[in-house]
Amino acid sequence: MAGIGFGIRDLLRRDTFLGFFRAYAYAGVIGSGPWILSFAGILMIHILGRRLGIPVRLITQFQTSVTYVIAASLVFSGVLTLSFTRYASDRIYENKPERVGPAFLGALTLITAGSFALGLLLAAFAFPGQSPVYRIFMVMSFVTMNCIWLSASLLSGLKRYLALVGLFGIGYAVVVAVSLALRSRGLEGLLGGFLLGHFLMLTGMLRLILGAFPAATSAGASVRFDFLERRHWYASLTFAALAYNLGIWADKAYFWYAPHLGQPIIGMLRSSLIYDIPIFLSYVATLPGMAVFLVRMETDFAEKHKDYYGAIHGGATLGQIAGAKDEMVDTIRQGLLEIAKIQGLGVLFAMIWGPAMLRWLGISQLYQHLLYIDVVAAGMQVVFLGLCNVLFYLDKRRAVLGLSSLLLASNLLFTMASVSLGAEFYGYGFAAALLVAVLAGLWTLDRNLHDLEFRTFMRQP
Amino acid sequence: MPTTPKIPTAASADVALLLEGTYPFVRGGVSAWVHHLIQGFPEIRFAAVFLGSEPGAYKGIRYELPPNLVHLEVHYLYDRSRAKPREETRVDPHAFADMRAMHEGFAAPGGCPAHVLAANADHLLAGRLGEGQFQGSREAWDMITAYYRDHAPDSSFLDYFWTIRSMHDPVWALARIARGLIPARCYHSVSTGYAGFLGALLSQARKRPFVLTEHGLYTKERKIDLLQSAWIEGGGEAPGGEAPGSEAPGGGTPGAKPAGGSLGAEGPEGSYIRRLWIRFFEALGKSAYAAADPVISLYQGIRQQQIQDGAAADRAISIPNGIRLERFQPLRSRQAIPPKPIFTLIGRVVPIKDIKTFLRAMRSVRARVPRAEGWIVGPGDEDPAYFAECQALAEALGLSDTVRFLGFRDVNEVLPQTAVLVLSSISEALPLTLLEGFAAGVPAVSTDVGSCRQLIQGKEEDAEDKAIGAAGRVVGIGDPAALAEAIAGLYQDQEEWSRARAAAMTRVERYYTERLMLDRYAEIYGKALA
Repeated sequence: MAGIGFGIRDLLRRDTFLGFFRAYAYAGVIGSGPWILSFAGILMIHILGRRLGIPVRLITQFQTSVTYVIAASLVFSGVLTLSFTRYASDRIYENKPERVGPAFLGALTLITAGSFALGLLLAAFAFPGQSPVYRIFMVMSFVTMNCIWLSASLLSGLKRYLALVGLFGIGYAVVVAVSLALRSRGLEGLLGGFLLGHFLMLTGMLRLILGAFPAATSAGASVRFDFLERRHWYASLTFAALAYNLGIWADKAYFWYAPHLGQPIIGMLRSSLIYDIPIFLSYVATLPGMAVFLVRMETDFAEKHKDYYGAIHGGATLGQIAGAKDEMVDTIRQGLLEIAKIQGLGVLFAMIWGPAMLRWLGISQLYQHLLYIDVVAAGMQVVFLGLCNVLFYLDKRRAVLGLSSLLLASNLLFTMASVSLGAEFYGYGFAAALLVAVLAGLWTLDRNLHDLEFRTFMRQP
Repeated sequence: MPTTPKIPTAASADVALLLEGTYPFVRGGVSAWVHHLIQGFPEIRFAAVFLGSEPGAYKGIRYELPPNLVHLEVHYLYDRSRAKPREETRVDPHAFADMRAMHEGFAAPGGCPAHVLAANADHLLAGRLGEGQFQGSREAWDMITAYYRDHAPDSSFLDYFWTIRSMHDPVWALARIARGLIPARCYHSVSTGYAGFLGALLSQARKRPFVLTEHGLYTKERKIDLLQSAWIEGGGEAPGGEAPGSEAPGGGTPGAKPAGGSLGAEGPEGSYIRRLWIRFFEALGKSAYAAADPVISLYQGIRQQQIQDGAAADRAISIPNGIRLERFQPLRSRQAIPPKPIFTLIGRVVPIKDIKTFLRAMRSVRARVPRAEGWIVGPGDEDPAYFAECQALAEALGLSDTVRFLGFRDVNEVLPQTAVLVLSSISEALPLTLLEGFAAGVPAVSTDVGSCRQLIQGKEEDAEDKAIGAAGRVVGIGDPAALAEAIAGLYQDQEEWSRARAAAMTRVERYYTERLMLDRYAEIYGKALA
């Protein structure tokens, strides 16, 4: 008998292609949820500090310093965090959790060394006339914040949201209490409180992570850098994070450094009093929306997403697969709608309480409309985050990269345009950029979901 | 004895043999035939294209390659290590329409018209139909899902989709092989199936003659495989009751049964996925029949079946196998008469040989014939699981001292000691072992498969052949009691045994010599190489 017919016997061996659906088991993290919490802390110091009679100038210097630390650390750490989180989720999916701990130590080492070097360089040149203590605290804060974003990204990848919120709560309570207690020490005292609170926060995160993923071996703690290997490195995620973080800071940086809009505060650091406080307020107003985002997207949607792939693997018919997809699409629709509703409430609140808030903060009522539009823009940022998150679940890394780049470009462009149109248009550039990004995101998502079955089967290896 | 000789290469050849799962990596009747064919034409430069399932499934070259085998290519159709092709989102609309027409033709009762097959072969070879489009285009997806909705809407889509993909894998591989093969003046495939399809592609692409020889009926053998395969869910229960040897290991389907219905759900015609595979192999076969001239069978029965399956009657001819008489005639004098009760089955230990029925028969034979022995001469490494099952069965039947698994042996040693040659196969073509036994003076008991009846009793339509008499007995398949009765009866009736021995020797000398066969092929090659 001639023939290789017997070779077809195990063609239905499913395990050979189960791996094809290694969709983001733990992914879907854009490491920028928690940072909105830090605005609440800074605002608190601002408000309480003024109550306690700290000079406005000092508070502004402190606020500007930590804003730069937060913004710069988000941009810098983003280069590593998303790709590393993906590495970790892939290893967990492969049932090799023992490789997460050593890699985490490796990433931590890299990010510490990198941010320390960059921080030293900046501290040496960026703050002429500042005390050594200020410079040291700035460098330490920068390093600490970088480590925090890395850790927070991994923890939210592991869906440890409550623990994260708790740690941020404790951390910022310490920041506020210690900063205010040390206010007599001036800027160094405020910054010391900021550093201490964050250091405690980081310690808590490290305990959580290394508790779940021990890096220790019989030979001692092990540090590995295999997440940097080509086959584990997701360049698209690195660039997406970079574009995203630059994108959401582009308008602010423009206002800081454009002539007549920003003022020099400390050394090379500038800020824009009129622009910054309304934006900070708006971000704090997104907290309810963020909560809805977490609940709706990370639990309801994540579950339906799992159901969809579960149906495929479980031997469902094409009709059943389409049904599972429809349910998933429904949770996305509902989630986005609810975020929109909550943010709508936020806008109403801003309209009612905004003027009083501004008066209380000593900001001209001329900037009322800036606050309103900022609240709308910040709300759209949450929606954008939600869209990116869903796209990450569908493993559309390039789509997120495209959307983030679009956000960066349009934010720069529209912010410049809005400034040239005059003071009453401040903030509209940022809002318009987000509107464009959200619409593009909705279109991208719609296109991907519309023929998800096609993409799931045909576009997988 | 596996050897690792240098694999010969050449820039061109006269005859390119297309060999699926046989020579020179697997031993067996077809491989031996190919070996003799190459040796029989020392002046012709042969190339051999070996098609295997996947790397690692073969243990090396099993033959000493003749010097006129100037080129050998080894390809694997299910090579999982191969890189994924680049996805192409665009299709050629004309090629796609032809491809659609071809698939509709496969499903239609009349089959696919030859010009549609030829057009598709052209598209495939020119890259207008390719793996990239198959895996990346929306048109391919729409076609797959439409077929799914029409034919198997209640089955696991993942299984369906994966079946379609893996069914097509070899097609792309064969197109690549066809594009890369060295030029040859004619192509000769020794089966339909993948090798026959490759022959069809090559003859279409190179405009050279394509000769097709079928020993067994490839498509029928695939159907038997498929009916016995437990890897298709719900498999094992062939419609119409248990197939012989269906306790054969099927590999099993890993994982739990899907929740949403299964492809194995047996309808009146068996599971859809099974029918799909069967239709796939039928389509391969028809492509080969449409392109080949001549279509050669070993005997009339096969020829009729080929015509029924789509081969043109005027191109279908029969050339029986032949053996080298001079190799076996000397063995006659070494035989003891009357012989010792040794009953030998020469064949690979695989389900299609239905070794288990032979074992069961040996139990009854031993009860009737004192000191009876059953020898199984053939390698057990092709299907180790089946081999293990047979050994366990022999043990369970209490045949440890009666049945001997001898592995691969020189027939020159085995035949002179054998009283009756036994074949319990559920499928055979024209088994050379019977002819070799006949030449050595050993009568046979065989199941009524392939040409075995005509070998033992003479060709039905040939009175002269019939007049030679019976060279043994013929029994039904899967019937241990009848097999045992025939073996013991033939052995114990001295007179019948002697008559059968004489008939065996006369028949093989008159009709089944290698010289006769090679003369016919000399004529065919002469025409094809012109």
